[in-house]
Amino acid sequence: MGSAGSYGVGTGNSGAYMTEIAEPIRFEEEIRSLIQARFDAPPVSGGSFTALLGLSANQAVGLLHEPGAGEVSASAAASSPTGLGHPLGWSPTFPSNAGLAERAASFPVFAAADSPASSSGGRPSPQLKAEPSDSDSSPPLPVPIDKPRRPAKRKDCEKQKAKGPAKKLKTAEEHTEDDQLPYVHVRARRGQATDSHSLAERARREKINARMKLLQELVPGCSKITGTALVLDEIINHVQSLQRQVEFLSMRLAAVTPRIDFGGLDSFLMAECGPLAASNGRGEVALDPVSWSSDPAPGTGQRTDLRPSQQSSTAWVYPYGLINHGTSLFGYGAANSVCMILFNSSYPVLYKFSCSYSNNNFDLCS
Amino acid sequence: MESKSSTTGNRDNPNRNLHGSKTMMASHFLRALFRIQQTSTSSSSAGRSRRIRRAAYASMAYSAGTRRAWSRALLRKLRSRARLRFPRRLSRAATPQRRDMDQAQVLRKLVPGGPSMDDCKLLEETADYIRFLTTQVRLMQTVMDSVSS
Repeated sequence: MGSAGSYGVGTGNSGAYMTEIAEPIRFEEEIRSLIQARFDAPPVSGGSFTALLGLSANQAVGLLHEPGAGEVSASAAASSPTGLGHPLGWSPTFPSNAGLAERAASFPVFAAADSPASSSGGRPSPQLKAEPSDSDSSPPLPVPIDKPRRPAKRKDCEKQKAKGPAKKLKTAEEHTEDDQLPYVHVRARRGQATDSHSLAERARREKINARMKLLQELVPGCSKITGTALVLDEIINHVQSLQRQVEFLSMRLAAVTPRIDFGGLDSFLMAECGPLAASNGRGEVALDPVSWSSDPAPGTGQRTDLRPSQQSSTAWVYPYGLINHGTSLFGYGAANSVCMILFNSSYPVLYKFSCSYSNNNFDLCS
Repeated sequence: MESKSSTTGNRDNPNRNLHGSKTMMASHFLRALFRIQQTSTSSSSAGRSRRIRRAAYASMAYSAGTRRAWSRALLRKLRSRARLRFPRRLSRAATPQRRDMDQAQVLRKLVPGGPSMDDCKLLEETADYIRFLTTQVRLMQTVMDSVSS
């Protein structure tokens, strides 16, 4: 590219970028597999909160590996939930146990699609009341992850409550990021910090993951690949191959161009479709099959007469095998079908465009 | 023929965006081809191919409009008459350097306007760029086939 700009931005980010992407993907899958595995089994008696999640206490501790949040662990000194002076600016008041219990019970996550979840959702509520006193054996607040969603930015007392008993177990910085109750698209991620910075980071990562998914769909054969590096390799290969194809096709077209018979193109296109705009996204150029004529005689550019077009005429264009998602490149339906101008030295078949513009914003394109 | 304007339900909205752009792309490209045919009757095939390639990218950029960063960068480049890009470097084909470190960088070089985007935007623009590139390739293929058959 001519723009050999500075790649400092890319270089600086790309290292962290990849790991950033890779890590939550692994993490999510790990969590989900764990939860699925555990939800099938009845919750063990590993403490009330683990009962919620269905994980054993060991597994809960085993998830402690997130090196993300430093601040929350710093405030791990509070052994009692009430004594939480959050450096993150949360209000230090905790709801009563009853309030917490009913909120937890109404926590949409627990009423999520998994049926075992709903059953276990009801059960822990009485146990929740015993939670604050039972800070010793309480694991971090288990919030099941039903499906990936954007994390909530609101911090609730729920989170604080979670942190309270959780603090004991958090050697490293494990925090759960609960989503708030009114939001149905709850996502809780274990072992992730909940301060604003990490939230923003995580939102960013989510955006990036969503875009990666889109890209995977676009690139053929990419959906099966797991792992960001490979996917990106595929994407890069695809872009390069497309650009190569453009180049080869332009070479071939250059060889073929002299033979193209642009029959009535000059007057027609220049006159009618000339001021086709580089419109801003709303360029509705509705091309109707006005007329077409097929002249089987090996004419050399004679204007053929026009005949009213039928739908079948447009059908003629299409057997080129370039079916784009089931429609031809220029097939836009009965109301809006396009005629393509075909040039052929031996068969000057001419399809005429009739452009009706719905948008009058024209700049002359070149 | 197929009268659906929205194709396989996968990406409904983006396809609707492409809907009008396809026709614009086609007409722009065909007009450019016509112009190239007229004005370069005696020039070499290489020169013509360069012009055709430029016309292809121009059609892409025009049909994409100015909504996209890559199309804006492309238009800028085309207007400034800069040498159109070096499409690929075979020298770097299979080196293991293309690992995590380089990928974003490589992608930035490929996508027009790449260097000035953050990763998130880069992915978005790449997706759009790929869409338009595929459309353009198909268009050229169609013209190619129709001419040579």
